[in-house]
Amino acid sequence: MLNKKLITLNSFKVMGYESDDIIPEGGLGAVSAHAGVGKTAFMVQLAINAMLRGKKVLHVSLHDPVNKVNLWYRELFSNIAGQAGKGNINETWEAILPNRFIMTFKVEGFNLPKLKERLTDLIVQNIFSPEVIIIDGIKFDESERDTIINLKAMAKKHDQRLWFTVHAHHHEDSAAHEMPVALLPFADLFDVVFQLHPEGGEIYIKPLKGKISDSQRLFLDPATMLIKGN
Amino acid sequence: MQNNMEKVRNIGISAHIDSGKTTLTERILFYTKRIHTIHDVKGKDGVGATMDSMELEKERGITIASAATFCEWSGHEINIIDTPGHVDFTIEVERSLRVLDGAILVLCSVGGVQSQSITVDQQMKRYKVPCLAFINKCDRSGANPERVVSQLRSKLGHNAVALQMPIGLEGSFTGVIDLVSMKAFYFDGENGEKVRIEEAPADLLSEARLKREELIDMASLFSDELTEAVLAEEAITEDMIFDAIRKGTLERKITPVLLGSAYKNKGVQPLLDAVNRLLPCPSDVENTALDRDNNGLPVVLVSDTEKPIVALAFKLEDGQYGQLTYIRVYQGVLAKGSTIVNARTGKKVKVGRLVRMHADQMEEIEAIPAGYIGALFGIECASGDTFLSPEINVTMTAMFVPKPVISLAIAPKDNDSEIKMAKALNRFTKEDPTFRSFVDGETSETIIEGMGELHLEVYVERMRREYSAEVTTGNPRVAYRETITQRAEFNYTHKKQTGGAGQFGRVAGYVEPISDADADAEADADFIFENKIRGGSIPTQFIPACEKGFKQCLAKGPKLEFPVTGIKVVINDGAFHAVDSSDMAFQAAARGAFREGYMKAKPVIQEPIMKVVVETPTEFQGAVMGLLNQRRGIILGAQDEGAMTVVEAQAPLAEMFGFSTVLRSCTQGKAQFTMEFDHYKVVPQSIAEKIAEEAAFRKKGSA
Repeated sequence: MLNKKLITLNSFKVMGYESDDIIPEGGLGAVSAHAGVGKTAFMVQLAINAMLRGKKVLHVSLHDPVNKVNLWYRELFSNIAGQAGKGNINETWEAILPNRFIMTFKVEGFNLPKLKERLTDLIVQNIFSPEVIIIDGIKFDESERDTIINLKAMAKKHDQRLWFTVHAHHHEDSAAHEMPVALLPFADLFDVVFQLHPEGGEIYIKPLKGKISDSQRLFLDPATMLIKGN
Repeated sequence: MQNNMEKVRNIGISAHIDSGKTTLTERILFYTKRIHTIHDVKGKDGVGATMDSMELEKERGITIASAATFCEWSGHEINIIDTPGHVDFTIEVERSLRVLDGAILVLCSVGGVQSQSITVDQQMKRYKVPCLAFINKCDRSGANPERVVSQLRSKLGHNAVALQMPIGLEGSFTGVIDLVSMKAFYFDGENGEKVRIEEAPADLLSEARLKREELIDMASLFSDELTEAVLAEEAITEDMIFDAIRKGTLERKITPVLLGSAYKNKGVQPLLDAVNRLLPCPSDVENTALDRDNNGLPVVLVSDTEKPIVALAFKLEDGQYGQLTYIRVYQGVLAKGSTIVNARTGKKVKVGRLVRMHADQMEEIEAIPAGYIGALFGIECASGDTFLSPEINVTMTAMFVPKPVISLAIAPKDNDSEIKMAKALNRFTKEDPTFRSFVDGETSETIIEGMGELHLEVYVERMRREYSAEVTTGNPRVAYRETITQRAEFNYTHKKQTGGAGQFGRVAGYVEPISDADADAEADADFIFENKIRGGSIPTQFIPACEKGFKQCLAKGPKLEFPVTGIKVVINDGAFHAVDSSDMAFQAAARGAFREGYMKAKPVIQEPIMKVVVETPTEFQGAVMGLLNQRRGIILGAQDEGAMTVVEAQAPLAEMFGFSTVLRSCTQGKAQFTMEFDHYKVVPQSIAEKIAEEAAFRKKGSA
């Protein structure tokens, strides 16, 4: 019960997409922002939404240890559940927890063969077979184009949906509705790109690629970091 | 007793089995003149089998393993605190690490960093204990201290820096060159007690200079003065180097490495000098207590003798002198005749005899000031208790004691063992609040309870070793519990009118699971009772009887006789009889009402889920995750840390029996794990059926 309520509350359909998955199987999505604006919070909500719908989410973090990533999930989940009102939050949380797997690497220790090896370990032993993969903290520079192409191929092969966070630097600020500089060489590979843009006291979720409809503007509430409509 | 805190060192010596901890401790006591002869650690047969250190101590009649041994070295007072041999996470390990300010990590120059050294090191890391490393056994064939230093870096992640280099190795190991003073140290006399300092041998000088540069390079990161001196090519004094290394050591950013061979009496005195120069004194370390007047917020304790007393009893010992309570004073002065309060019980006690242990004898003292360690006689307390001046209200340990999650039946082999076992249990339960024992009323078995399989194993082993109580153990049993999942009404009338005074009572209301909101509001959220009766359908004087009746049902749930938790009982109606109603009658009515409501409220069985953290070499991480997965574990994540990977998971305790053996065999003994209780969770249906079968079988067996 609570589960269903939470899916509705945490829906991405308002963005104009047909399903909460936003991107198709084998597709790539990205969210770009300056440091500290809320990339991880956005991604975690995307992940919780998928977990609630029974999808397996692999969260790969190149910055934070497992505990810290887990804390993000707990915090945002209880915020979402708090909106839904009464109900046994812990029970729901425990029920969806098996749908998530956190993997952390040190940035310099991360490479594609390693990720693939780990994934194969998980899939072959029937431990965890991800349907959504979030990669938080990968560095986007031109030398990584092959990595991204390979990841896309992997996603296609296993029918996975891949999401990335893109760190935008202040000195690279681009004009509105333009791709962040870091993502330019890769833009053709992505189905959907969002940008988190602070506007006054709010953080505006600006669609840069994919369905761009301005009928429903979405924000991240800076207090709870939850996604909300205007 | 002096009272100069800067000259006090509270240290532990931790080591891998067989790396020479016993020998090193003995040599330290010999050079500090606490014992007067040195014995051979080798077995009498001369083949070289190392004797077990416990037996060894017994044979020599010295208590080098006593909880805290005091010695003096060049004006410094050193307390050597025994660190438990087992590496499992228990309250006891935590306590002994808490009272340490610094430690010596002993490594074998042949064996190097082995898996147990890794465990020991992790404990140090967890409690942020600054340490020195001592590479022992440099006289052995195959000795390679340089390899051990690089292992300290690669396997333990220490920023290890050598303070010495060996003069010769293996059979020709004769002494060490001190890289700070660039002097050679030789150890003469029958027992190496005469330290001869000479110029460093010319053939080793160029290598020593290179190593010294390396040392200064690393030390300069912690001292601007030293950096400036290096840049300006000015003279670098020994003090500058030591001050910088000390700073780095206290921050745990550098680990100074010394070498020697305790068995051949080489290198021990410079190690003691290094303890004095590099390890922290009590005031260098921040200690905190929890303020009980202020919601348990941490307060920093100041090593000031003027402040009120705060002291921690960290170990109880049944020695040849009776019961001793080892205590570390963190603040104030604990003097003979002063009045102190036990923070746990609130009882006031007067301090009687105070002593200090010196290897095999003890010294009566007048007072124990802040930063010091001593022992009290004749104080009734449990280990982990905090003692305070009456005017303050803090505690060194959190008051929360988790409930046991596993139990084990134990039986003594004979009469003699029975008495010893009782003695041991009495002592252990005092020492460790998470360890409990009781006699099961139905089976008359003695049951011990604790926080995990290893936890209980440790105590059974200690019963054998320390009390020579031979006991047999049953299979470990998981502490399941019951709870309900939905609201259900009850309306039960208890009526008995068969001669004599009758009994009458009716109780109506509902039971429901305790919600998260209720749980937050109530401190003890296992059972909530609410009286919503208006208009006196049950007279007020019988309400406590109703509550008591419900409570009686909690110990053994109606479903499978496991304890019931997380249940809220609300009564809103009832009836009484002017003559026949009594406390007894309402208690019986409440019990009946509970059974009625409970079975309708969809009861379920819950099992303890443990948080399991496995640290494994990365090549085995797939296998480790496979193991956890087979055990109904949910893997929360895998953290890649280069050579090692940390796998975090939640797994039911019932599936974790024997995990250490399986883990060892599938990782060549290179992985290790910690396990602690996390939460309770509903058991899957198929498992619940199995538990029901087992419970029925056991009941049949005991009937």
